[in-house]
Amino acid sequence: MIRVENVWKSFDEQPVLKDISLTFERGKTNLIIGKSGSGKNVLMKCLVGLLEADRGRIVYGDLDFSAMGYRQRRVIRKELGMLFQGAALFDSMSVTDNVMFPLSMFTTMSRKEKEMRAAFCLERVNLHGADHLQPSELSGGMKKRVAIARAISISPKYLFCDEPNSGLDPPTAILIDKLISEITEEFNITTVVNTHDMNSVMEIGDKVVYIYLGELWWVGSRHEILHTGNKELNDFVYATELMRTLKK
Amino acid sequence: MLHTLILIAKLIRESALFALTSIVANKLRTVLTLLGITIGIFAIISVFSVVDSLERQIRESISALGDNVVYIKKWPWTFDTDLQWWQYANRPSPRLRELEEVQRRTGSVEAAAFLASTRRRVEYLTTSVESVSIAGVSADYDQVRNFSLHSGRYFSQTESSAGRNAIILGYDLAENLFPNTDPIGRSVKLFGHNMTVIGVFEKEGLGGFGDTHDDSAVIPIQTLAQFINVDQDRYGPFIMAKPHPGITNAELIDDLTGVMRSIRRLPPVAENNFSLNETSLLTEGFDELFAIITLAGWIIGGFSILVGGFGIANIMFVSVRERTSIIGIQKALGAKNYFILWQFLFEAVLLSLIGGIVGLLLVFGGTAIVVSVFEIDFLLSASNILLGVNVSIVIGLVAGFLPSWSASRMDPVVAIRSTA
Repeated sequence: MIRVENVWKSFDEQPVLKDISLTFERGKTNLIIGKSGSGKNVLMKCLVGLLEADRGRIVYGDLDFSAMGYRQRRVIRKELGMLFQGAALFDSMSVTDNVMFPLSMFTTMSRKEKEMRAAFCLERVNLHGADHLQPSELSGGMKKRVAIARAISISPKYLFCDEPNSGLDPPTAILIDKLISEITEEFNITTVVNTHDMNSVMEIGDKVVYIYLGELWWVGSRHEILHTGNKELNDFVYATELMRTLKK
Repeated sequence: MLHTLILIAKLIRESALFALTSIVANKLRTVLTLLGITIGIFAIISVFSVVDSLERQIRESISALGDNVVYIKKWPWTFDTDLQWWQYANRPSPRLRELEEVQRRTGSVEAAAFLASTRRRVEYLTTSVESVSIAGVSADYDQVRNFSLHSGRYFSQTESSAGRNAIILGYDLAENLFPNTDPIGRSVKLFGHNMTVIGVFEKEGLGGFGDTHDDSAVIPIQTLAQFINVDQDRYGPFIMAKPHPGITNAELIDDLTGVMRSIRRLPPVAENNFSLNETSLLTEGFDELFAIITLAGWIIGGFSILVGGFGIANIMFVSVRERTSIIGIQKALGAKNYFILWQFLFEAVLLSLIGGIVGLLLVFGGTAIVVSVFEIDFLLSASNILLGVNVSIVIGLVAGFLPSWSASRMDPVVAIRSTA
């Protein structure tokens, strides 16, 4: 579980996050949604420690992440899996080497042990047999799956996904969403997904957080989001003609 | 502690593999970057190899001249600034009779020899070699000058004192005159007279002073005196004197100075009208010369390497910029600053080292060509190879440090933003 308590963040005295307080549940897929520039990316970076909150606390389990120094945070960093937008694989490395990278950075496992762990993770994302391939030989969906395998290789307690299905066709995007959701439940991970894809929201959103102009505007489940009376959220959810037609 | 060392070793290995992959992935850029260091190492190691080879040959030549032999000559090897050139030119040359006086009146001289030389044609049947250096030497020449005979023998006392028509040929001269025949005992024609070949010098190669016996011939001074006036200036006469064991060169020079002044009846106030030259003077002169050439080598090669270093620094900055996203991802996935630093530093050192090794290979190829074409004893020594490798590593470290450091200090937020 991750607790965000009264977090503020400003750039050039312009507040981007305003007094955000919420909880991300363990074993659930937590989605942060919002328009571009709403502050959801900044919130995500504050969560993983790439940006420091000006005020407030971020607590992982019982550990106050905000109060920790660089070295102390390494304990928590070892438990963070990260899935970057666009997969962000190392082009010069094979699929197996990509998956093994966090293991090399965070563990003292032997090469054999790392290879076994990588094989397990690739098997889990249904990429058995692709271990020797280079990223250039993979489709967009396969790259995402390799990235997920890399993210879960260190058996993370927390998984952060930044626009995990951007650039994918709808069927592949749904496959990736489902894979993230399955892994979350299977390994009892606290997953936080940053997205503005309503398909993802409707597919895997156990808990949905809507950020509007830097403020926590709405919190609920994917079942509740379609029936909310919140005007700003409705503007976001029913922004497309398709959604408006479906609502009618 | 052991656990930490294992982790560091593993990280270094990971970094090295990462760097290697990057170098292989950018082949053309790698080659162009290497050129600067290649040329630099080629320049510096070439100069050092030439200097080393020249120095070795010159020292061997000096050693052949005899490092404790004093040469009594008209002209000095190093000029005294107090005297004008005409004062040297007006001096008398050492004479053959002065050799006898030196031998008789000095107590410190173990052996002394007189030498005068000219150039003449040497013939054997229908074969002839023009303008051969013919040296007339007195009997003790073999005791003051280091040489070996390939075949035959040196002049006997009788041949020397009686001026017999005996001749010792240089190795190359013998090869030219007697391509498929043993020359010992055969007669060559010199000054229109038959001379019996009694010996052939061992091949000496190109000496540092061009004083090799290879293309010349040696006859007794008394024989030469039958055809030319060996005391004449134009035949470059001089006397070589070697001291008894335990006698220093300074003592020998003191002794020779007194005796020569006495022989030439110089009044106490008069300047010496002869020069006493030591091979150590040559050595000292060459020490200074080689120090200057070595310095010049460092400066010329140093500038080339400096340019190469800037090339590596430049390409490393480009590499860091290109891989900003990768750095960001690595950092987000747990890579520590020193992992990133080492990764880029290793790449810079590897680039520089490859450039240096290519430069060394070029020097090696060049030396092989020079040796085979010019028959010069020219060598790329192990110490120069080591120097080239070390210089490459140091340049790689220095040139790569700043780009690597900037990469390691990169803000992961900025880096990850470039990914997006």
